[in-house]
Amino acid sequence: MSASPLKVIVAEDSELQRLYLCSLINALGYQAIEAEDGAAALDLIRNTDIQILISDIEMPNLDGIALTRAIRQLDLDHYVHVIVVTGADDTEVREDALRSGADDFITKGGSTETLKARIRAATRLINHAKELAERTRALKEKNDLIEADLRAAANAQRQLLPDLHDDLLGFHVASAFAPSAIVSGDMFGCFEVSDDMLGFYAVDVSGHGVRASLMSVAIGHLVSPDYFRTHGFDDSGKPDPAALVAALNARFSTSDDDDYFTMFCGIINRHTGQLIFCQAGYPSPYLVDTTGDTLPLGDGGMPVGMLPFARYENNTHTLSRGSALVICSDGAAEAENPSGEPFGNDRVRSIAQNLSNVGVEQVPVDIVAALAAWRAGPPLEDDLTVVALERK
Amino acid sequence: MIHTTQHPKDITVVRPGVERLTAVNAKAFKDAVVALIEDGASQLIIDFGTVTFVDSSGLGALVGVLKRVGHRGDLVVCGLNADVAQMFQICRMDKVFTVYTSADAAVQKLAENQ
Repeated sequence: MSASPLKVIVAEDSELQRLYLCSLINALGYQAIEAEDGAAALDLIRNTDIQILISDIEMPNLDGIALTRAIRQLDLDHYVHVIVVTGADDTEVREDALRSGADDFITKGGSTETLKARIRAATRLINHAKELAERTRALKEKNDLIEADLRAAANAQRQLLPDLHDDLLGFHVASAFAPSAIVSGDMFGCFEVSDDMLGFYAVDVSGHGVRASLMSVAIGHLVSPDYFRTHGFDDSGKPDPAALVAALNARFSTSDDDDYFTMFCGIINRHTGQLIFCQAGYPSPYLVDTTGDTLPLGDGGMPVGMLPFARYENNTHTLSRGSALVICSDGAAEAENPSGEPFGNDRVRSIAQNLSNVGVEQVPVDIVAALAAWRAGPPLEDDLTVVALERK
Repeated sequence: MIHTTQHPKDITVVRPGVERLTAVNAKAFKDAVVALIEDGASQLIIDFGTVTFVDSSGLGALVGVLKRVGHRGDLVVCGLNADVAQMFQICRMDKVFTVYTSADAAVQKLAENQ
């Protein structure tokens, strides 16, 4: 028990009875607080944090039953244990008291031992609740720390993402990035790798949350313009994104866990519009031309870091002036509406198709908005990345 | 979570016992199948007949199981619905796993191969 004695309110209109009960309670090591009727007791309950009440039934102003009912209607941040004093055979009164919210009974004129046992039982519950509250407080404190850390990590992660609302080498690039948790397992990059070549990639690490985000940040640091220059070209200087993807696969398939990532990686020539790309399990991006015709690029490829023996291939396509590439992680197509229907590739495609009408900036915004409407409330379950890249 | 059916020639058909094999249950699925392998099962058929969706974690778990089987046995899959088949295709998992239309077809083929 704490240093200061636990307080117990004694609500009893008969002064003699009240003094008798109070002396018993004080003798048990508690501190009895007198209330001469129900209204006085309710005042004390309201204005103090006393958690045990011993109450008579028949009292002026507010009887024991009404007092109990009133206490149960209060919005207190602690529980009040109500022990009602009744006659030995007052079954009906006891049932009434139970219905109104009483916890326990003692019999008027009953033994001190019973009174002691009842108050002890209430004390155990109060101490238990106190311990729980303390544990909850400690957990919340830890949780707040973890969340603050995660937000800091999310900021650090966002700073790795390129600021894509700029023109790069004659390409107009726009993007949207929506983590499902605070941090994300998605990553993308887009940069000049030479005076003529724009390199870009999008990555989606399997799973999501902290574990996936750690890997995505590692990839974000690794796959720099320099990495493109040293791993993304063959000996003759021709773009070879498959070689870059294979280098990443060699690096990431050494560990024994099941983590891997999907990737789409490409290098475009600004003068000819020739795009050489490697698809590694990432959804096919859509190529949208000025008439609104859309074509999914690529027919698949093994993910990265899954199997050491995976082989990767390059494919080529030409982006004519005014046409654009819309890259979208599987968080879009797999997002389900409240009745469990996935958003699907066709809906992504039809938004991409609209690019020539709405402009490259608008497509990522439209996909994010369409998904929010599709989800109708709940946040996305998977990370979402949309990158739209137009050759001007 | 998984349900298994034993067939002659030590062939085991495994049904994941979930509609969606995702980050939520992928590890439990893998642990359960790996336990079968550790108990000696080596001819495994994963029947996706009642599975409607497999996410990237589910696929990772499946490949993890394949690595565990290694050269000591066989692991094939069957019963892929259109969405799951598309995911297998985009990740070229159809080059990694032998895919059968049904568990019966897979059982028959594995038995013949032995």
